Amino acid sequence: MIRRKPTLAAAVVVSAALALTACGGEAPASDLSSVKIMAPFLEAQPPTADGAVQKKLEELTGKDVNITWTPNASYEDKMNITLASSEIPHVLVVQGKTPGFVKNAEAGAFWDLTDKLKDYPNLKTTFPEVQQNASVNGKVYGVYRGRNPIRAAVMFRQDWLDKLGLKAPETTEDLYKVAKAFTEQDPDGNGQNDTYGITIPKWGALGTNSPYDMIETWYGAGNRWTERDGKLVPSFETEEFLEANRFIKKMVDEKLINPDFATFDGTKWNEPFFNGKGGMIVDVDSRVSVLINLFKQANPNDFENKVGFVGSLKGPDGELHAHPTDGYSGFLAVPKSSVKTEADLKNVLTFLDKLNSKEVAVLMNNGIEGVNFTVEEGLAATIKPETPEGKVVNTDIKSFAQLGTNVTGNNFYPVKQASEYEQKVFDDRVAVMAEDLKSAVYNPAAAFVSPTYVAKGAQLDNIVADARIKYLAGQTDEQGLKDAIKLWNTSGGDKVKEEINKLWQENKK
Amino acid sequence: MTAPVVEAKASERAATTPPAPARRRGFAVHFAHYKWLYLLLLPGVLYFAIFRYGPMYGVSIAFKDYVPFLGVNGSPWVGVQHFQDFFANPDFPRLLGNTLILAFLNLGIAFPLTIVLALLLNEVRLSVLKRTVQTLVYIPHFLSWTIVASLSFLLFALDIGPLFQFVNGLFGTNVDILSDPNWFRPLIVLQEIWKNTGWGTIIFLAALATVDQDQYEAAIIDGAGRFRRVWHITLPGIRSTIIVMLILAIGQMLNTGFEQIYLMTNALNRSVADVFDTYVYFVGITQGAYSYSTAVGLFKSLVGIVLIFGTNWLSKRFNQSGLF
Repeated sequence: MIRRKPTLAAAVVVSAALALTACGGEAPASDLSSVKIMAPFLEAQPPTADGAVQKKLEELTGKDVNITWTPNASYEDKMNITLASSEIPHVLVVQGKTPGFVKNAEAGAFWDLTDKLKDYPNLKTTFPEVQQNASVNGKVYGVYRGRNPIRAAVMFRQDWLDKLGLKAPETTEDLYKVAKAFTEQDPDGNGQNDTYGITIPKWGALGTNSPYDMIETWYGAGNRWTERDGKLVPSFETEEFLEANRFIKKMVDEKLINPDFATFDGTKWNEPFFNGKGGMIVDVDSRVSVLINLFKQANPNDFENKVGFVGSLKGPDGELHAHPTDGYSGFLAVPKSSVKTEADLKNVLTFLDKLNSKEVAVLMNNGIEGVNFTVEEGLAATIKPETPEGKVVNTDIKSFAQLGTNVTGNNFYPVKQASEYEQKVFDDRVAVMAEDLKSAVYNPAAAFVSPTYVAKGAQLDNIVADARIKYLAGQTDEQGLKDAIKLWNTSGGDKVKEEINKLWQENKK
Repeated sequence: MTAPVVEAKASERAATTPPAPARRRGFAVHFAHYKWLYLLLLPGVLYFAIFRYGPMYGVSIAFKDYVPFLGVNGSPWVGVQHFQDFFANPDFPRLLGNTLILAFLNLGIAFPLTIVLALLLNEVRLSVLKRTVQTLVYIPHFLSWTIVASLSFLLFALDIGPLFQFVNGLFGTNVDILSDPNWFRPLIVLQEIWKNTGWGTIIFLAALATVDQDQYEAAIIDGAGRFRRVWHITLPGIRSTIIVMLILAIGQMLNTGFEQIYLMTNALNRSVADVFDTYVYFVGITQGAYSYSTAVGLFKSLVGIVLIFGTNWLSKRFNQSGLF
């Protein structure tokens, strides 16, 4: 017996060592000297693994960072395939609470970080309501990627407005008046009746911050869900929803909106605006600078005062119901199958904490000081002309920004705009959005995930979304729209409402 | 030196032993004899085993509540729950109807047109013209559906597309062809014809080349005109090819072409545009309902198998010639 013990101990040690070498094929997973990340990229090419940004990132975090960049268009598919495989990263960018993600999360695929994030200074969010929005029924499964909560804006051709002697719209009624004037009063002065008010692309889905969604919120229909008589109801069950769509339909009928709004290709959205056919766009405010750039490229000497904008519009009740987003765009989740122990989790969270520190945030959003930008009065000014190294950094940060979480606000420098005019427009945008934030109408059900909705929410919502477009196009009447809403309820929507209200009541306590 | 002796003994023994073991030994001999042929067969068998039959293991998720994290084996078994849900779903009759209507339109219009085009090409005597036309009608096959859809969007664009003006002028209407539900099916069949008719003629042209030329000469002497010759010589000559192609086409019938339909769908024509393929994509990939959409796909495959066997059986009854 005395002789056997050491043998046993030795056997345990040997087998443990074997197990360790076996599971850590390329890098020992236990001490996490290397962190594997899966993230989407939206550029034409992903950053290279030996780029300057990547090297600096490894230097700043003290880890060997191994990022699998995956094209944004197929990210959700690839993510699900990855979760089913044995090659699971330590940190996974999840783009939203999709049914696929929720199912995996509820099956226990990710660490519950609800009580853990507060221990890390850079992960302890200063916007708890956004973290709540990003949670699954209160459970936080990741560090959310913060986005400006207010982005809704109306963009219009400033030169047309000035020519017709009109004021920038402040209410939805003004929107109609400007659209009508843009359509009927020949704002481009070519003597022909070839313009219309607002361009809307093929964008029907509910609750995706489409122009329809924004106008409905401005009318007071709430934002996806709204509280009526002590209960949460979907926005489309409100009287304001019908009013807003009557309003949009009136504009469609009077040809103030492009007639092919149901099929118009969204990637060409800027063209009618730029070419002087459609005078207005209702979309997120970042499009303002895209539009200005179009005019600037066409004529660098005369691009000012072509694009005007305002934020959310006041509804018929005279109140401002600003349309916010949920304030986040997905989150960084930690899968349990790759990060097995609490100690490992701590390691990963410490890494994420560093990822959100000021110096890494600056690296991932602004680049490397002196290589591609310099700091001028607290703004990041891009070094011009671009050096070859600077060019690589400028391209790479567009992808690395996808890893930024900014849960404590933006820790990096705002970008200095190329000209005084653009800087002024940019500052205006920030001011307008900050003002609208005070009247933001949040989605009270953003945090709640109802099982029925996970199972068939997209099909359900399609019933109403298609009916909305059909109603606007005149294929069905208002009764048809109401019938579709009834069908939504009878096909499973009743249950969704019940579940959401239950979760809402539970969370109120 | 010893090997032939052993082999001779073995065959001797084989001849004298009782029947049952003999059959086993018979197979061994048979196998030894044809071993190179079996070796030749091996790659094909492996291909089907690995790439066709192996993945069918994944079909089992149609009977489970699949969660990627839990894996195929770990996901809970739910039996035919997904099939019941699907048949009870109000979408089901609409999907079945849309799929079948499009399938029959394609089969009833596009398939005969291929034969007609092949016959027309076969009658062209000027070989330069024949070859030029052939090349021209093959080209659309190599364009992706994305390009075909983009072309359609340009040609039928509201108010400005040249074909929009032509078609509406023809019928004296003013409808948006791209979003009008009544125009969806004609548009799809038209695209299908434009893209694939030329390509489909290849096999028929090959079959037409095998028709006995003497029969034509005899028919000409008997005073048969062109149409008589086509009807009584050419068509019977390629009958078996037509039937094989028809069976194959029917097997593919429910594959209504995901890309094409997906690209042409919008909120206004979805009621007639939703077919099994787009539904599987929409529910399965975008909503993460993998099990449910696998069940739908499996159902579609079963219908496809039934159709193939049915057509084969019918053609055997009427012509004594089937595919298998």
